Amino acid sequence: MRFEDNREEELIRRAIAEEIGVAEGRLEGLEERVIRALAEKVPSRAPWWKRLREFLLPERPYLGLAYALAAVLIGVGIGIAVGRFFLAPSTSLTSLAQEGTVFALAAPGAKEVQLVGDFSAWKPIPLVDPDGDGVWTVVLKLPPGRYEYAFLVDGKWVGQDPAADEYVRTLGDYTSVRYIGGEGGERS
Amino acid sequence: MCPSITPDVDIGQSEKGPPPREPESVLGCKIRGIEMANVGELELIQRSLEGDLEAWGEIVARYKRMVFGAALSVLRNHADAEDATQEAFIRAYEKLRYYDISRKFSTWLITVTINVAKNMLRKRKPDPEPKTFHTDDPASLVEKEDLVRAVREAVWSLPEAYRVPMVLYYWEGLSIEEIAKALGMKPATVKTRLFRGRALVKGKLLEMGVTADAI
Repeated sequence: MRFEDNREEELIRRAIAEEIGVAEGRLEGLEERVIRALAEKVPSRAPWWKRLREFLLPERPYLGLAYALAAVLIGVGIGIAVGRFFLAPSTSLTSLAQEGTVFALAAPGAKEVQLVGDFSAWKPIPLVDPDGDGVWTVVLKLPPGRYEYAFLVDGKWVGQDPAADEYVRTLGDYTSVRYIGGEGGERS
Repeated sequence: MCPSITPDVDIGQSEKGPPPREPESVLGCKIRGIEMANVGELELIQRSLEGDLEAWGEIVARYKRMVFGAALSVLRNHADAEDATQEAFIRAYEKLRYYDISRKFSTWLITVTINVAKNMLRKRKPDPEPKTFHTDDPASLVEKEDLVRAVREAVWSLPEAYRVPMVLYYWEGLSIEEIAKALGMKPATVKTRLFRGRALVKGKLLEMGVTADAI
């Protein structure tokens, strides 16, 4: 039994639909239940303390956003620090290439560049630009094979790496493909 | 349950109008002479804001499958998802005045649903173990070639962070941008979660012995 790429999405769609489908009988008469529940709610005014709180502290969804942003910034800071410590990139792409497979992207002005790909199960890997020339790099030691990947530049998907061997369209956008040498990396 | 309004003209029966939508209209209810099923979404929302519960009932009829799917993606339990679906529609009705009309209604409704479901999940602690859908051992599973069932188990046992976007994308048919808005994250994050979710599904299938010759 194979799980071929061209069937993958259809199988996932079917698997989800089946699980939801078996329970659809539960939704019979939901309209009436919702209407009844709403009708039974006494349309009384909220208690005074609730009204006061709503007046003084209206819903502020941007507070959650601010917390999330702070968390992301801290995470990115830690990520970059860890990346710099472990990856220790040199400024020369040629010398970097001797250490492994170089992923590089020119993104002047970017605050954060990350690499996602099937080699990391699509978990972001931070790129670094230690000399501030706008070229962000990371070196990975990858076994021979075919790899799909993309960059995230300040959180924006950049699927077409100029250094890629080819591009494929997945989930409505491009991803880059690179073949790393050896038998497993040969293109058919 | 229908209101007492009786139509003089039934647009739904007109030859020029679209045929009445049979399966999901609210028991043939009509407002101001128009089949509820033919009333536009904005009209229904406006009437709901004015306190017309039958109009809200039609909204429930149109979106209950979508809302149930979103709730199930978080809760993974049919009974809880049913409760969350009902609660989400009640909450959405009560919060309707906060709905920004420039935003797609279905996306806003999913946001409400996910929040309701996550609240239920917090109250339900400890979270149950991932649901299993079969009792067969992997070898017999492979023999039976029951790939869909294996995929079903793999998908529904994914962590919530990957499962929810996958259900919204593959079942609800939401675009990457719509999912990002509904879940309050960047489109690129949604995309990486979908990729990673698929990678995890493959990994789980590999563990079951399903994909050994393909990956």
